[in-house]
Amino acid sequence: MLIIGEKLSIIAKRVREAMMKKDKGPIQEIAISQWKAGAGMIDANIGPAEDGGEELMQWMVTTIQEVVPLPICLDTTNYKAIEAGIKVHNNQWGRALINSTSNDPERFPILELAAKYNVQVIGLTVGKGGLPADAEERAAIAAEIMARAMEYGVPIEDLYLDPLVLQIATSQDHALKVIKTIRMFQELNDPPMKTVVGLSNISNGCPKHLRPILNNYFLSLLIYEGLTAAIADPHDVITTVKTIDIILGRTLYAHSYLEM
Amino acid sequence: MAFVPPKETYSGKVYAVNIGTAPCEVTFGGENVLPFHAFEGTTPNRPLIAYEVQDIPPTDWPESVQKPYRDVSNDPVSWAKFCQDTLKAKAIALRLIGTHPDRENRSPEDAVKTVKDVLSAINVPLIILGSNHAEKDASILVAVADAAKDKNCIIGKAQEANYKTIAAAAMANNLKMIALSELDINLSKQLNILITQMGFDKERLITDPMCSALGYGLEYTYSVMERIRLAALAQNDATMQPPMLGDVGMYVWKIKETQASEEDVPQWGSVEERGITWEAVTATALLIAGTELLIMRHPKAVEAVEKVIEELI
Amino acid sequence: MALTGVDIFKLLPKTNCKKCGFPTCLAFAMKLAQRQASLDLCPDVSEEAKQKLGEASAPPVMPITLGAGDKAVKTGEETVIFRHDKRFVNPCAFALEMKDTLSEAEINKKIEDVLNSEIDRVGQKLRINAIALVNDSNDAGKFEVVAKIIATKASAVPVILCTSNPQAAEASVKLFADKKPIIYGANPENAEAMANIAKTYKATLGISAKGLDELSDLTEKIKALGVADMVIDSGARKAKEILEHNTLIRRAAIKKNFKPVGYPVITFAQREDSLLDALVATIGVAKYSSIIVLSSIEKWKNVALFTLRQNIYTDPQVPMQVEQKIYKIGEPAPDSPLLITTNFSLTYFIVSGEVENSRMPSYLAVMDCEGLSVLTAWAAGKFTAAKIAQFIKESGVENNIKHRELIIPGYVAILSGAIEDKLEGWKITVGPREANGIPAFLKSKLAAKT
Repeated sequence: MLIIGEKLSIIAKRVREAMMKKDKGPIQEIAISQWKAGAGMIDANIGPAEDGGEELMQWMVTTIQEVVPLPICLDTTNYKAIEAGIKVHNNQWGRALINSTSNDPERFPILELAAKYNVQVIGLTVGKGGLPADAEERAAIAAEIMARAMEYGVPIEDLYLDPLVLQIATSQDHALKVIKTIRMFQELNDPPMKTVVGLSNISNGCPKHLRPILNNYFLSLLIYEGLTAAIADPHDVITTVKTIDIILGRTLYAHSYLEM
Repeated sequence: MAFVPPKETYSGKVYAVNIGTAPCEVTFGGENVLPFHAFEGTTPNRPLIAYEVQDIPPTDWPESVQKPYRDVSNDPVSWAKFCQDTLKAKAIALRLIGTHPDRENRSPEDAVKTVKDVLSAINVPLIILGSNHAEKDASILVAVADAAKDKNCIIGKAQEANYKTIAAAAMANNLKMIALSELDINLSKQLNILITQMGFDKERLITDPMCSALGYGLEYTYSVMERIRLAALAQNDATMQPPMLGDVGMYVWKIKETQASEEDVPQWGSVEERGITWEAVTATALLIAGTELLIMRHPKAVEAVEKVIEELI
Repeated sequence: MALTGVDIFKLLPKTNCKKCGFPTCLAFAMKLAQRQASLDLCPDVSEEAKQKLGEASAPPVMPITLGAGDKAVKTGEETVIFRHDKRFVNPCAFALEMKDTLSEAEINKKIEDVLNSEIDRVGQKLRINAIALVNDSNDAGKFEVVAKIIATKASAVPVILCTSNPQAAEASVKLFADKKPIIYGANPENAEAMANIAKTYKATLGISAKGLDELSDLTEKIKALGVADMVIDSGARKAKEILEHNTLIRRAAIKKNFKPVGYPVITFAQREDSLLDALVATIGVAKYSSIIVLSSIEKWKNVALFTLRQNIYTDPQVPMQVEQKIYKIGEPAPDSPLLITTNFSLTYFIVSGEVENSRMPSYLAVMDCEGLSVLTAWAAGKFTAAKIAQFIKESGVENNIKHRELIIPGYVAILSGAIEDKLEGWKITVGPREANGIPAFLKSKLAAKT
């Protein structure tokens, strides 16, 4: 399972300040730490970034890739910032991933970018206004996004479906619905569709000591259902990922499996 | 084709809470099924409606609901007696709104005097409410709890910010207590847990998941209440088994629909009947969702809700 | 058991021909599974698939459309027991009872009331949906006379013809050809005659039974006679029985997939006391009635019942939104504070409630963010500096206030600089993160000023 390191997010104060001051130090330090901990891709979340988004995304992509041989997940609602980021992305380390398109017409143009530059893209299964009520509604939106991706010329192998994880503290019933959705998404195509979640949203708003517990147990169930990728903190989840791989027979067991 | 009634039985049960003192004590709650589902279980007690009375004249209430109390509302004692004797109230809810720092900022001593006076003037059970100012309520409710010792009153509302002091006072004086959280089933459960972790008996608790008026978020309160009731019954969740309060009057009589005159909004019809209907419909919807205790203002709305309860049981 | 979208997809031609209006067979299959599309839209589906899908895709509660044209109402098609499970689908219809024993003047007055009942609330047009003509006289002639008045004066309003007399039913239903009326009153004695009339005139048949067993027998019998569209009444009249029967009917239809009661329920809520009639209707709205017949429709009662129906049938997944505008709280003056928040209704109710609590008259700018809360709206790019600046400029609030200070929610403190850049001459102040901090915040601002 692919871990997309989530720690470079504008929501975090330290990261936000570094972004504003264009201070490479903290950004690179965090990127390296996530790579070492097991991330296979780094998420660069610059928020809506209305002003200077293009320049900021380019700075983030190059700053990270200077020190870490990984592709970047370009995380913003700003179309131009994504395009700018793709242009400087070093594909030697793998293809970039856009976070994200959805069933909201405002987000359709993102698919043009994915097609034009041959990058991968996350399809968040929400529409305009309102959340999907259950797994079936999420799958129905997924089918629409898949159809649209094909229209725009994005191969659906390059599409990661994201069921939208909601906070357990306020939307408890959605946790199980998301688990069911992961199974259902895969059935939408042969070979199975790729799936991704923003994992830590499950524990958003919960007391600090509960967050890793919720994140990890939730992740084990999702991996069991076939999850392809998770945007998460690799330090937080790597033990779970490796252990579930052992239990499911995806990795050969050895006493030192956690150190590998 | 024979119809096989798909009845539900549940493992949980709502606690029965008894308030007041003989011969006027009242019990509500106690059912082991969804509201008024007597066809599949037991619903031993009728929901209780308490009339709201305030420690200061209700100058901020709309005209249509001030009117029935015009001659008595200058004084909480005569107001409470009027509700008991003339309106046949089964319980009184005394709101100490005058203690709010932005109203008259009345002192704990003032509040204690009001509570004592009202208690000695009535026989029916008393619910004593603060002004919902978390900090001020802590001092007011502690003082009045002592004044109401062993009268088997309800005091409230305890919130996340002040529950420790209020719960301790309620325990020390043998009172029942309302726990208020803001329209969030998970926070409601959490507050009940915290309160019982202090040693407060969960069977002496009343949950207030926060009321909303028809048209102003009623659907949130409605669904939170239905979910709390289902957790109590189907999941046998003891923390969700206290009866629930619908503090209806306060939320209904501040919105536009209970105040705008017919001249201003002709398509809404008579303001007086509209206000009464608004309060009665809000209360009835919440009864169906699971509330066992209502606090209401307009006598005609109370009368109508009592009639519909009569039809439901 | 309902089929999943993928199960349905396997039965479709998989040509992606788009003739159904959907981009792919998969997308169409998903819509079918949601019951948001009909299989008829696929011209190439095989007979075998049709048969399999027909069974599985029939909703547990049949959809019934009452009336035709603009004022037609769709009822039924419900899929859950509790609104929080998913959503209640088709809002119940309200009908006004009209006895055929009334004088012509009284009838005309009632027709006028129905025609004038429309109210606009949060962007929706709400009205009394139908007239229920009741054959109180037991006289077929009289019934027809009143039906004629309704057909002439309220030709667009859907009707429910309540009579157990087949002659009366037939004479009056002719007046509503092609308007999908309901003939209510099929019972064990008249079932065959009524079924024939309903079939001939393409009307929906209302079943009038005594108890749930008789009801199940009757719907089966009438279905066998070739009538598919029905609404059902178990005979419950007392509030207690209405709640019990409606609950058992809904559970049987949804949890047991018991087809004999898989139809919309019609509830007769009439009481002499109009307010009590509203409260019985309240129970019907909350608990599963699809059509509710009322004895009277005063304006004050309509606005309450329409609002209740709107509340209960709100989709819990779609945040209820309030209108984008500058709200006045109390009676604000030109120097009163101006706060901004998003148009998620719960956010609005809580923020405006706390501003009220502060007892400081204020302006509250509520911005359309598709009903998202502050932080979610910001993350989704709907509550951004440029959009806030544009909204404030276009709102015209600059004409109402003499200061230029905007208080933003603490959660989006990050935006303050960017808004100041885009909103020239304005000072942005960061307010509290949670609404319950608003009273203290506003008071300390006032204290600082004086």
